[in-house]
Amino acid sequence: MAADTGTHRGTTVDAGHPAEEPVTADPAGPATAPGGSRRRTSQRLLRPLKNQRARRAIGSLIVGAVLWELAARWAENPLFFPPLTDIWGRFLTLAGDGTLAENLAASFQEYGWGFLAAVLIGGGLGVLMAASRFARDVLDPWVTMLNATPVIALAPLFIVIFGLGLSSKIAIVFLVMLFPILLNTFIGLSNTDDDLVEAIRSYGAKGGQIYAKVKLPMALPQIVAGLRLALSHGLVGVVVSEFFGARAGIGMMIFTSAQTFDTNALYVGVIILGLTGVVLTYALLAVERRLARWRFQKEAS
Amino acid sequence: MARGDQLLTTDHLCKAFRRGETTVEALRDIDISVADGEFVSIVGASGCGKSTFLRLVDGLTKPTSGEARIGGQPVRGPGSDRAFVFQQDRMLPWRTIEQNVGVGLEMHKVDKAARKATVAPLLDLVGLRGFESSYPHELSGGMRQRANLARALAVDPQVLLMDEPFASLDGQTREIMQAELLRIWSERQKTVLFVTHQIDEAVYLSDRVLVLTARPGRLKADVHIDLPRPRGLAVKRSPVFGEYVDTIWSLIEEEVKQSLSYEARAL
Repeated sequence: MAADTGTHRGTTVDAGHPAEEPVTADPAGPATAPGGSRRRTSQRLLRPLKNQRARRAIGSLIVGAVLWELAARWAENPLFFPPLTDIWGRFLTLAGDGTLAENLAASFQEYGWGFLAAVLIGGGLGVLMAASRFARDVLDPWVTMLNATPVIALAPLFIVIFGLGLSSKIAIVFLVMLFPILLNTFIGLSNTDDDLVEAIRSYGAKGGQIYAKVKLPMALPQIVAGLRLALSHGLVGVVVSEFFGARAGIGMMIFTSAQTFDTNALYVGVIILGLTGVVLTYALLAVERRLARWRFQKEAS
Repeated sequence: MARGDQLLTTDHLCKAFRRGETTVEALRDIDISVADGEFVSIVGASGCGKSTFLRLVDGLTKPTSGEARIGGQPVRGPGSDRAFVFQQDRMLPWRTIEQNVGVGLEMHKVDKAARKATVAPLLDLVGLRGFESSYPHELSGGMRQRANLARALAVDPQVLLMDEPFASLDGQTREIMQAELLRIWSERQKTVLFVTHQIDEAVYLSDRVLVLTARPGRLKADVHIDLPRPRGLAVKRSPVFGEYVDTIWSLIEEEVKQSLSYEARAL
């Protein structure tokens, strides 16, 4: 066989994610019967208990919580180390007087809008850089430079520019989420299997179809990896940007609690952030699992 | 055993690749014509440009000069009058077999119901009924090659371009697939251009075997295989079959030696 003009695209930036197996959205899933959905949900929630790994994880958390409670009661230092039950009590008062809801709403909006903008613009630029050599050559130095910059350091400046409201926080969340999404989309789309592309080209696929039918499905694991990074970066972005001045938000709540020695409220904020991170990660993995059923089926077998 | 007019012709087809500073000439002045319904194999030493030739006919790559024509129309790119069967099955791993086999129809905007209706009898034909919703990784290599063939047949091409489709299969599966291919070929009345490096495979399947020289590939011989059809696997044990294999092998032998010396020089 003759060697062909194989164009190997050198990936210029590597976010440290080796090429994984290709995956994709596959619309033809078996539809869940609407009648059985409630029972299914409860089964799904109970399923982790049947799984040894999940049992150990949950058990470990419970043991940790009990140890915290006992150690805190023994230490008797509520300023640094309050018992979990005190934190729970503070949570109830914060939830009761509406403080928590107000702060959550502010942070949630900042996070949500920032995430949306980062997905649209980061994803779009990632596709553009993968599709056009010109775009890649022009954008690459900026992406590399800004990606290496701790953009969180720009937070004080953004607050000066955009003010204390939502927009300064959205801008920061957007920036910290942008690069993991952009780079992973770009890298994922660049590392596609040329043989598969050629196969569907031989069946008449053109530019857009090649992306929709082969490149995006193959890039999915890499894109999900980028989203995962972005989700956690975004939480940091929300909190830190609120430290520099905000009218409301979980980050602001944590900051003011520390200044007023309200350690319980501080822990409420931190624990909420931790749980949010866990929920977001699992939600993302559930989406991936749904889009790439074949891959998880393969792993299970 | 010409069954009709010349469906596929190539006219002084040449292909050269640039590799850095140097230019590698892969194919030189290939003139062939294949009649409608004919089964033609192409054999030659490795690196002689057999696969490149198929890719030129499919329009996946452009000739340096000359052209290929299907039914008199010059090839400008891939088209639904031709379908390629690849050496590696190249199934999309995230699609079920049914979705993979229908992929060519999907590219031509055929709706889902019509795709299903076309794919179902083809899966029957290649012996994959019941595997519609399996994923490629659940199937054996031989079964994936059946799906590969079904995918090509689904677009109802006039010409099947097959690039060593059985090379990665074990010996027994290969023999079965050869017999199956002949059955399907006679049922579907396709014109087949079949690249292989197995001489016995070429003789067993073909009406004609084209022998290419070592690089740059030129047409060295055009051997008509006068074995009666339908051919059972037993034909491979007949003396005439052995004579054909010997003839073609002696044509190829010096080319193989030459191509080995190329490779040695490249090292």
